[in-house]
Amino acid sequence: MTKRVVEHATCLGCGCACDDITVVVDGDRIVEARNSCALGRAWFADGSVPRETRAGGKPVAPDVALGDAAKLLARAERPLVYLAPDISCETQRAAVAIADRLGALLDSPTGEIAAGILASQRRGRAGATLGEIRQRADLVVFWGVDPADRYPRYASRYAVDPAGLQAPDGRKSRRVVAVDVGPSRGAADADERVAIAPEHEVDALALMRAVVLGRAIGEDAVARVATGLATRMLHARYVALVHDAEPSPHGSPLHADRTEALIALAQALNGPARCALSSLRAGGNRSGADAVATWQTGFPFAVDFAGGYPRYRPHAGAAVLLARREIDVALLVGSPAGVPQAVAAALGQVTTIAIGPRASAAPFRPTVAIDTGVAGIHEGGTAFRMDDLALPLRPALSGPAVAADVVRALAACLMKGRS
Amino acid sequence: MSKTRLRIAGGVVYDPANDGGADGGIRDVCIEDGRIVAELPRDAPKLDARGMVVMAGGVDIHSHIAGSSVNQGRRLLPEEHAADPAPAPPLADPDAIPRSGTGGTIPTTFTTGYRYAALGYTTAMEAAVAPLAARQAHAELDDTPIIDAGLFTLLGNDDYLLRQIAAGEAARARDYAAWVLSAAGGYAIKIVNPGGVERWKAGGRNVTGLDDAVGSGAVTPRRILETLADAANALELPHPVHIHCNNLGQAGNATTTLETMRALAGRRAHFTHLQFHSYGGERGKSWKSAAKEVIEHVNAHPEVSVDVGQVMFGPATTLTADAPVEYLLHASSGRRWVNVDVELETGCGIVPYSYKEQAAVASLQWAVGLELFLLAKDPWRVVLSTDHPNGGSFLSYPELIRLLMDRSHRDECLKRVNQKLVAGSALADGLAREYTLSEIATVTRAAPARLLGLKHKGHLGVGADADVTVYANDADRAKMFSTPRHVIKGGVLVVEEGQLRRAPTGRRLRVQPGYDRAVTRDLKRWFDGYACVSFENYPAAELGE
Repeated sequence: MTKRVVEHATCLGCGCACDDITVVVDGDRIVEARNSCALGRAWFADGSVPRETRAGGKPVAPDVALGDAAKLLARAERPLVYLAPDISCETQRAAVAIADRLGALLDSPTGEIAAGILASQRRGRAGATLGEIRQRADLVVFWGVDPADRYPRYASRYAVDPAGLQAPDGRKSRRVVAVDVGPSRGAADADERVAIAPEHEVDALALMRAVVLGRAIGEDAVARVATGLATRMLHARYVALVHDAEPSPHGSPLHADRTEALIALAQALNGPARCALSSLRAGGNRSGADAVATWQTGFPFAVDFAGGYPRYRPHAGAAVLLARREIDVALLVGSPAGVPQAVAAALGQVTTIAIGPRASAAPFRPTVAIDTGVAGIHEGGTAFRMDDLALPLRPALSGPAVAADVVRALAACLMKGRS
Repeated sequence: MSKTRLRIAGGVVYDPANDGGADGGIRDVCIEDGRIVAELPRDAPKLDARGMVVMAGGVDIHSHIAGSSVNQGRRLLPEEHAADPAPAPPLADPDAIPRSGTGGTIPTTFTTGYRYAALGYTTAMEAAVAPLAARQAHAELDDTPIIDAGLFTLLGNDDYLLRQIAAGEAARARDYAAWVLSAAGGYAIKIVNPGGVERWKAGGRNVTGLDDAVGSGAVTPRRILETLADAANALELPHPVHIHCNNLGQAGNATTTLETMRALAGRRAHFTHLQFHSYGGERGKSWKSAAKEVIEHVNAHPEVSVDVGQVMFGPATTLTADAPVEYLLHASSGRRWVNVDVELETGCGIVPYSYKEQAAVASLQWAVGLELFLLAKDPWRVVLSTDHPNGGSFLSYPELIRLLMDRSHRDECLKRVNQKLVAGSALADGLAREYTLSEIATVTRAAPARLLGLKHKGHLGVGADADVTVYANDADRAKMFSTPRHVIKGGVLVVEEGQLRRAPTGRRLRVQPGYDRAVTRDLKRWFDGYACVSFENYPAAELGE
């Protein structure tokens, strides 16, 4: 009887950021997240989060926790501010201000995919928002990724199934090619499968580009595969080339040159045809952290304020400086659960202040922990879809504390301590 | 420093909106509660401006400073940012967090606000925002201090509009334009390469002229321009349609530009970065200046206004919704390139670039812009811009002002540039005109404010916003205009003795034209059929009543 519904909620369970979720709330629990996939249901869950504020292992009042945090940060010699997932852009903006004020190193999980980001800075990109792929694509190539695993509604909402302006019959208007790169398999629902050994992947992409540019290539097995794929792409009107920009779930590290080769191929296909490279990103507003860092500092991740202004340190980000024991105090804003393994393990070795969802349950036992709500479940604001589109968040519940407010209050404490 | 009262005393005041373009007279400018007032008590705080030049704060009618395409450009330029660090300014306000940043052709948001203010500019219009991306642009402007800013909303390649045009539904197109402006929190309608971006997205080709079919034969660039110009005028928007014509950057494109102006004859319309649209010659064969023909048409048609989009030698970043143009620039230059097709609405293309004196086409572009300025009869309708960062950074405005005010300097510069395509142009034949300080005040603040319909900006009359810039009078006009002594924004002294000292939050400028609510029912159906964002989540701003 007491059920409420929140319509058009945006799910941050993955980077698809589906904004058609109807969240049903009974009392203070989410009982249903209609339209969401399994990943989304797990992300919303029942919406319960811990509501603790702890310092030195004991429960304390929020003001005490903030005061302690400010003292630790003010005394830090080499602080780190880390933007973990599940916070809004508003919280990210406030956290970057603290990094600037402290002269800290600023980083985020994007550090894990530095090679891909750097490739896009060298080359640029040929891309599209996800909705444009829906309108235009007549050939969808899943390059070593089956979106069903980590981006469950990508195919049904964007790339494959829905009807679009130039794909009036949806799935029937498109041809789907799955490229299996070793254990990284392309989409299951494909009209055609091609296998490429991981050690040949970057070569194959270069050969495909050569074919697109009209150059003759050799006759070996890799060249034959490349020629076949490239020819199909050249005959398409609009190619969506889809790859996973996040670290592989198979433990096999991506070749550092893979993204650059994909970008170069996608760019070359524009002219003879149209092509957009769609880079799949995980959820929790990771793309928002890149965007905010870029507009405030000029760089998307691994920004060092130590010199009094932003410097780009893509090869000396959080993971590297923590491993070198250069960081003495870390401020983590966001879900500790979303921090990459290497960074999370190292955080246990330094003094850490954690502000975010389930901060008090962080495995690295923060010195100060302030639990907040999850952006999109308990907090409003803005978050980015994987294609850099900003969407509003519609919280269904209220949380223990609003992350943006806590971070701004911490900034105010730090400013007070200045004089 | 109190926000409430200030007397700027004894300066030479250039206020062309109120003094009829007279040479500056010495008078006090009085400020109370953020506005210009007629008089203040004798004991009000005083700013000694004796011997200095006093103007309203600068108003940039066309600049790219915030939003998804600007930020894509920022991400593409780590080396520029590394080369131009911007430490946090020493602000006097104890509560404000002064922010560091980086510069280059696309500075970070805080640095953009600080640098505009330090240049004496207090208002800027972000000239191209896809409605779908407006939420990000507003967030970036929230992080851009001091300046008041508005967004121009991109229309003219959006599928919903093209469908209304195909169906002959002009009234619904107008209602839709009004709804989109409200939803995007926009200030004006911006048209970029009407129909051409849609053709690029649909099949990789551009349009070539005003009567090319865009999908349906009933939809042409001409119909798009007419529909939106009429909509803007019927909605009584403060600024008319802001038009980036077809064929930007192509030899021979002056024909298209003039045809566009004739197509809209009698309608108010603003033609932006006209320099990029004033070339003679023939595509793929020859280039020459057509500035004279184009500006003579502008001179003779009072309903037309333009900003120049001057090219300045040095680094630039070309950044536009005109994606097919950037594809060509990438293909011909081999430079880094970003293309982003924006669902159902528009495109985005970015290529970092550099204009070199040794290059023939860059030299021609430089000359064409100066010809437009120097042959313009009415400074109220031909205003200053570099289409930042496309023709050059806004930081190059002082050098541009010097080129306009100082003929001997200009002639020296002209000697250095590549003469191949400049020979025979009006500029090479000798243009003696030198802009006066009053004309500079017109093209950098009074006229842009008037063209934007910003009644409280660009002048120093009673009731105007207290946005005031005080310059030390220097014969080197580049030096004078690059380092104002004092800048007041909304009554707050933001630049004091040449130092940025305060960074108040700027205001957002937006319109909320009325529309028939019936359009939203049809739009909802359209969203349900094609969009990838919920209709309810689309508006970035309050829709109002």
